[in-house]
Amino acid sequence: MNSFLINFILYFLVLTLSIFCLGLLYDRKNGRTWNDGSEDRKEGLNRLIQSWSQRLQDIRKSWKIFRRSILALVGLFLIIAVSTISIFADDIAVEHPYRNLQDTEDLWWIDNEPKRLEPFSEGCDWHEQSIDLFKIKNKGYPRYVTAVSDPVLTKNGSLSPNNLEIITLVSIEDDLGYELNNSILIVHNETTFFVTDDALNVSGSKIWVMYEFNNEGMHHSWLPDGYDVCIMGTTNSGQDLFSKILYGSRISLKIGITVAFLTVALGTVIGSISGYYGGVIDELIMRLTDVFFAVPGLILAMAFVAALQNTTSMSLPMSAISFLLLLFICMSFRNIIDEMYSGEKPSTYLDIRNEENLSLFGKFIKKLGISFGLKSKTHFLSKIINSNYLYYQRVIRFLSNYSTSITIIIFFTILGTYWGGIWPQNNSNNIDEVGLDTQLTRALVLVSMSVLFILVTIFDKVYTNGIKKEVIFQRMSASVNFTNPFRFLAFRTIMIFISVILLIFVSKTSESDFSVIRDFDRLWKIQAALILTGWPGYARLIRGQVLYIREMTFVEAAKSVGAPDGRIMFRHILPSAWAPLLVAFTLDIGGTILSASGLSFIGLGAEPGTAEWGILVADGRKFFPNTGWWLVTFPGLAILVTTLGFNLLGDGLRDIVDPKNKR
Amino acid sequence: MKLQEFIVRRLILLIPVIWGVSVFTFAIAQVIPADPAAALCGEKCGVMGSNGLTAYESNVIRLGLDKPIVEQYWIYVTNLLQGDWGESVTFHRPVIEKLRDAAPITLEMSFLSLAMGFPMGISLGILSAVWQDKLFDQVSRFVAIAFVSLPIFWLAMMFQYIFGTQVGICDPITQALPLIPDTVGGCFPIYGRHDPTYTFPDTGTGFHLIDSWIVEEPTKYNPQTNQYEVSMSHWDMFADTFKHLFLPCFTLAVASTGGLLRYMRASLLEVLNEDYVRTARAKGISERRVIMVHAVRNALVPIVTILGFSIGGAIGGAVLTETIFAFPGMGKTAVDAIVYLDFAMIMGVTLVTAIIFLLSNLLVDLSYAIVDPRVRLE
Repeated sequence: MNSFLINFILYFLVLTLSIFCLGLLYDRKNGRTWNDGSEDRKEGLNRLIQSWSQRLQDIRKSWKIFRRSILALVGLFLIIAVSTISIFADDIAVEHPYRNLQDTEDLWWIDNEPKRLEPFSEGCDWHEQSIDLFKIKNKGYPRYVTAVSDPVLTKNGSLSPNNLEIITLVSIEDDLGYELNNSILIVHNETTFFVTDDALNVSGSKIWVMYEFNNEGMHHSWLPDGYDVCIMGTTNSGQDLFSKILYGSRISLKIGITVAFLTVALGTVIGSISGYYGGVIDELIMRLTDVFFAVPGLILAMAFVAALQNTTSMSLPMSAISFLLLLFICMSFRNIIDEMYSGEKPSTYLDIRNEENLSLFGKFIKKLGISFGLKSKTHFLSKIINSNYLYYQRVIRFLSNYSTSITIIIFFTILGTYWGGIWPQNNSNNIDEVGLDTQLTRALVLVSMSVLFILVTIFDKVYTNGIKKEVIFQRMSASVNFTNPFRFLAFRTIMIFISVILLIFVSKTSESDFSVIRDFDRLWKIQAALILTGWPGYARLIRGQVLYIREMTFVEAAKSVGAPDGRIMFRHILPSAWAPLLVAFTLDIGGTILSASGLSFIGLGAEPGTAEWGILVADGRKFFPNTGWWLVTFPGLAILVTTLGFNLLGDGLRDIVDPKNKR
Repeated sequence: MKLQEFIVRRLILLIPVIWGVSVFTFAIAQVIPADPAAALCGEKCGVMGSNGLTAYESNVIRLGLDKPIVEQYWIYVTNLLQGDWGESVTFHRPVIEKLRDAAPITLEMSFLSLAMGFPMGISLGILSAVWQDKLFDQVSRFVAIAFVSLPIFWLAMMFQYIFGTQVGICDPITQALPLIPDTVGGCFPIYGRHDPTYTFPDTGTGFHLIDSWIVEEPTKYNPQTNQYEVSMSHWDMFADTFKHLFLPCFTLAVASTGGLLRYMRASLLEVLNEDYVRTARAKGISERRVIMVHAVRNALVPIVTILGFSIGGAIGGAVLTETIFAFPGMGKTAVDAIVYLDFAMIMGVTLVTAIIFLLSNLLVDLSYAIVDPRVRLE
């Protein structure tokens, strides 16, 4: 496992434990014992169990519907098969890609053996090996040469050849490719050749010997007897096609799932904003999707690939990433305080028509309006505002609620641009070499920033929204009730922890940029292109759903209680709209695999030499109809099978989701 | 709303989208890491011209690359409107001329593929709705999903294999010239737009299925006598064009059949539950007549909308089929332009495909409005 992940988990555990212990101490000081929270704990546990059992029940019900369709079961089986293959490719495959310097796992070394062997052909266990005559003649290397395979990847990650067992000698060629007499080499025993004097007299520094070897060592129990290697033939450069196809499943699944997931995320956010707010925003977003729809998908993706040509890594400035994390923490605290506010007044959100309830900024805006003469009803601006009263109210409400937060955002974006000065610059590329003092300064800066953010939030609440200080602290301590650990399983708390840990990591790195994607290679380029091409479809889908659900009574109820827009969108509307999303997601994985392999086929996708199905088809195309039908057929079948699996599954899911099937 | 008003409104709505596409293509072109000024002059960039500037500098001034970006966009749009779409570096000719040649090829292919795919998809859809949940329905649903899952480039090559080496009556003249290097000549043309033994006169519309009846007949090369002497009739030209078009169109048609089948099935199933179908059945009309006259005609109405999207899909699919079948259409042009980072061509291709797609959608919507007057009321 990656060291970053291990560190991350460690930090997480340590942080959770220490905060928990601190909290217990705090509770004890306030006279609250562990036993006092027992009821709370029971309640929390019950809720957790209830929600999970509900989920299990739903899954069981869905499985009952799903089971009815044979096609969907076949799809599920195909997907499980392909994923299993991709996970165990290392064990199933006969040949392995050599990990080269770029550490691209699936890149194959181009072998110098230009032979294409048909599926199940006899020559599959032939191996070509070079013998360096120069070293034997001049450097005194032994005359007995061991038969070894090309270097393969071992378990510990290094490259080393395997010993082979010679059966018969097939042919010998000199460096220029001319056939030599087979008698110049003697098969000494099962594993070594003896180089005779005749061989040493051959012109050139190397000879190439081809021999049949015993395949027992590479034997796999699931293969038919006698055909241990290349059941699908070999590629143009003499590599086992079957192994390549196995490894190709990794790339295809990776692309399919990543792209579909990110596309769904992007499309959902944009679509729900568009559907929920409506009006000008909706119109703008929908016209944008029109533009995206107007250009056929593949051409659009190709254009994006071209546009991304020069991008080699995706990184955000360190200041921006720290700022985002801090902002997130601040917002979460704000929400916590908001939640506590419900005790004294029926609604968290105040009636802004009452001037007393306006925040400082809101009052300022209103005063500004009055000073511009908006009070007189004849003024054209006031006419506009009166005719759009609801809209105006919404704007004012937004401003009054978020005024301080907005000010903070503006302030810190300005500050963030100068943040480079705060970070001690360290020119060394080695992350570990950051001195303790610089780490400490950064950590201090971060901690002080977080405290500042939280203080400002509290300040905002106290002095602009008029909440009492005692109430705030009381509620805050209540929300962090340490006698009930189940509370920490809430999504928001976990997210705060994660952002704190990320902040610690950010404070450790010496670079001025935080790389989101370190190596933005060609694979990432097609993924990015497909994401940028795919989101409008989801945006429209979700927008339609949101428009439909928005009118339902439960949304109205949430609104009347005064829930914020974000909460209504993500907690009330989206959970009701997930069904068609899931279907589209599954179908999209198949579609993405198709388009990605299509892009690779025309040479815009993965690196040449990668075991990617589209590239395998493109490579095989030169030999296609007559001299190598298998080079195209099998990779294509692999694409077909995988896509078919996802499409069948998606079709089955559609049946589950269909309200007609709910029983 | 009257039909004319509807048309005008739709046309006006098109303008912002086309404008958006132009902004979009311009933005993409700004990001593409290619220097159009350097690409145009190539090795001669350092050569000093008569005006005291190097070729590169004069190219920069001619293309307006030294101006601010907004002004560059303005120049781009005005040039577009005046018909100057720039110079393609890859094809060494004006973009608009290349596109004028390429567009009919792709359009011809798309229309023919729709003409093949629609009957297939719709008839299968009708059958599978009529025999709902029977074996035929299950099989055809599976086939529909399988067709959607087919990688189009692979399918095209499989067809090349089947038709090019296995099926067909061999014409000895065609077979004498192997079309793919390293192979024996096939029996069915699997490559190119025409038989390479004659040149198709490019004096017509560009749609060669139509042109073959208009332009004058060329003579064909006879490899046995090494002379251009075989005279061709209009019919020969048409048959040859059609034979070459058949495989790419059939590939595209198969790819679009799956979706059509699904939609038709769903639409017909919905219609079969309607009251008027029940009434028709109650009147004692034969089941065949109920389905063909009462149900199918109504079920076809929503299918019309999919036609518009199918055209877009066909143009997208043409990227791959044209690459495989060596058709110099829009798809192949787009691939070449992007592989060689041909700045002007990428913008041109994107814009033209978008316009074609939008116009075809508009036509479809209009026909929809004519067929179903309810649409106009929106």
